[in-house]
Amino acid sequence: MGRVPRRVGMAIAVLALGVAALPRGVRAQSEELRRELEAMRKQLKQMQEQLERQQELIDKLSAEKQAPAAPPAVAAKPPEAKTAEAAAADEERLKREVTENLMKRLRPQLAAANKTFPSQFNPAIGLIVDTVGSYGSKTRGDFELRAAELGISASVDPFARGYAIITGSNQGGFDVEEAAIVTTSLPYNLTFKGGRFFADFGRLSKFHDHDLPFVNRPVVLDRFVQGESQADGVELNYLVPMKQYLTLTGGWYNKMGAENDRVDNTVSRDLSQFTYLGRAATFFNLSDANSVDLGGSWAYTPEVKIDDGASRTLAGIDLTYRYSPLSQASYRGLVWGTELLYNQEDRPVGGFPTTSAAAATSLERALGVPALAAQTRGSPFTLADPTSAAATPLVFKRRDTTGLYTYLEARLTQRYYPGFLFDYAQDLDHVAGYTTAYSPYLTLWLSEFNRLRLQYTRLEQPGLHENEFFLQWTVILGSHVHSFRDR
Amino acid sequence: MKRLTIAFLILTLLGSAALAPADSKINVVATIPDLADMARHIGGDLVEVSSIATGVENIHAVPMKPSFATLLNQADVLLLLGLEAEHAFLPALLEASRNPRILRDAPGYIDCSTYVEVLEVPTRIDRALGDQHPMGNPHYNLDPVSMKEAARAIADGLGRNYPEHTAVFKKNLDAYLAQLDAAIARWEKEAAPLKGKKLVSYHPDLIYFAERFGMEAFGTIELRAGIPPTPSHIEELEESMRKNKVDIVVRELHYPAGLAETVAQATGAKLVELPAFVGGVPEAKDYISFVDYNLHTMLKAVQSS
Repeated sequence: MGRVPRRVGMAIAVLALGVAALPRGVRAQSEELRRELEAMRKQLKQMQEQLERQQELIDKLSAEKQAPAAPPAVAAKPPEAKTAEAAAADEERLKREVTENLMKRLRPQLAAANKTFPSQFNPAIGLIVDTVGSYGSKTRGDFELRAAELGISASVDPFARGYAIITGSNQGGFDVEEAAIVTTSLPYNLTFKGGRFFADFGRLSKFHDHDLPFVNRPVVLDRFVQGESQADGVELNYLVPMKQYLTLTGGWYNKMGAENDRVDNTVSRDLSQFTYLGRAATFFNLSDANSVDLGGSWAYTPEVKIDDGASRTLAGIDLTYRYSPLSQASYRGLVWGTELLYNQEDRPVGGFPTTSAAAATSLERALGVPALAAQTRGSPFTLADPTSAAATPLVFKRRDTTGLYTYLEARLTQRYYPGFLFDYAQDLDHVAGYTTAYSPYLTLWLSEFNRLRLQYTRLEQPGLHENEFFLQWTVILGSHVHSFRDR
Repeated sequence: MKRLTIAFLILTLLGSAALAPADSKINVVATIPDLADMARHIGGDLVEVSSIATGVENIHAVPMKPSFATLLNQADVLLLLGLEAEHAFLPALLEASRNPRILRDAPGYIDCSTYVEVLEVPTRIDRALGDQHPMGNPHYNLDPVSMKEAARAIADGLGRNYPEHTAVFKKNLDAYLAQLDAAIARWEKEAAPLKGKKLVSYHPDLIYFAERFGMEAFGTIELRAGIPPTPSHIEELEESMRKNKVDIVVRELHYPAGLAETVAQATGAKLVELPAFVGGVPEAKDYISFVDYNLHTMLKAVQSS
């Protein structure tokens, strides 16, 4: 009577062994198999019960048959031996059947899994769609596909990983925002990066537009860094091996700034015409819930052609305070972020002549300033045109300029994040005074991958007072990694 | 330039001196205190263990602090829950830590889910279904039997990295499993009143607990894993809970209190507040007292309903 459960047990053990031997990659399929095995287990149990009933019947009949005349002792042995032999054969047959059945089910799935293996080497792919609708009292309204940003990333080999961010927008065409190689196994806590990437300058300069806590890049970053801190070059980063977090970065680039048109990115240059960067960043854990990030950045270009060959220094301090109660981090919190920037370079008295209207318009729009007003007033945002500068001799003067932004954002629930941004930036040429902007905003996280944002901006500078309203909708499709850079 | 080089060398020397280990213990960093506790039992005097999370956090929202990068930078081995439970902070921290010993696929990267029988492995991956974990539900730490497998993974992982101590790890593991087995036998007896009771939790992290102790995980307050609830979802959930006579609403302590309480009141279910990890409440000092706390809190609620 004990043989049948043992056989069933063995069959289940064989099945379990089969499943345990599966590689992790086919775990999903094995889950389905597990369910099928469960069904088989039930069938086997039913079989077991049926066999038990039959066995009982056989025993009963045998007993009745044997009762009238007990068989001789010698005659009792052969049937027992025969039963044991039959049971062993049964066990063997059951094992074989179960294995065959299992393999029959597994083979097509393993084959299907194998077919996908070549694509396993494909990089992780994600797409971010960032759209902004805006309306201003002077700029009027516009719906803008600000970016459709394709991100791909993968390990290159045991020594490096690579990533690229390719962006298309309603400005037309595609732009390689980043395409970089990063080492993963250098000794002495070093990381080396090469290609096109966002230079390690400040904090929000390294954020893509859609990752910013508000709709638009702060005026000071757009004016001083000129967009994201995009740079073609190399960067070495060192994590100082001590308990206090401290990283040091050294960079060497053609130029810095995604919209920095004052330096040509495509021509070769003397060593004195590259931009060199140094940065130190640290972190203070004030308590479990309170912390401060502090960083200092310094970018130096010994010789800027357009500035009459003079040097340019751009320096900044960034400070971020976070309150994030550990047990409520997903629905309570506060962030205060601020950056102070200082720029020193030779600028033409009265500013650069403004003939590149299209380029100027593009920058003005990015800043939310009416292009027409900017062109007629001699805006601080206007871009330089090297040709016209060469045509008309300019008188240069050393200019020191400062600017800052500061924002406060609260996390009230898992969904609602209200905040307020203040901007202040001097005119690089000391022509149009300074600009201030006040922007209350509300971010609504429908999920981690779907975000709506409402923002009002009051922009003020001499001769220009503008009210603007923004509605931003950003979604993420596919792969998305929480990066350390965007924290 | 020369001055810069000297400063760099000084910093390196100072840093190295500051971090020179006081003794030659194995530096183990665990992502959660549950694994840290087990590592202390299994590693004994050979290990120095620290944990990234303190136990009160939501594992999917642990703040990504730079100080964790320095902690991981010094780790000899890393213990993680696995099944992408730590996706919100660990991959980025590993990259920032520059420690090749504990990178994914390195010997020091010890995924404690390796031997666990995983529940809720999705057959379809789609963000419309919420924040899915492609490898299955990662909250197995609430099931003591699954955690026996995690303990085995820790012992094997430590042995793989330090083969000279394998015998010690094995001996400590056996002793710990004996303790855990005795506790499991007790818990299974104590849990008898929970059999067949239905529960709704805020997030689908009570699945393993329910399965172990014969309860039925009926649904979640979240619309889908990781997606905040909507009013219509709550309405439907409450109606369905009333119809199906759900006994318990569980608020994992890292989720907001108000809504769970409202749902419990509206449906006549008993509200139970449970920690998700060791250290989540002062009583849950180690893994055994953590399971004790969860089970006894649940029993109290069921018996008083």
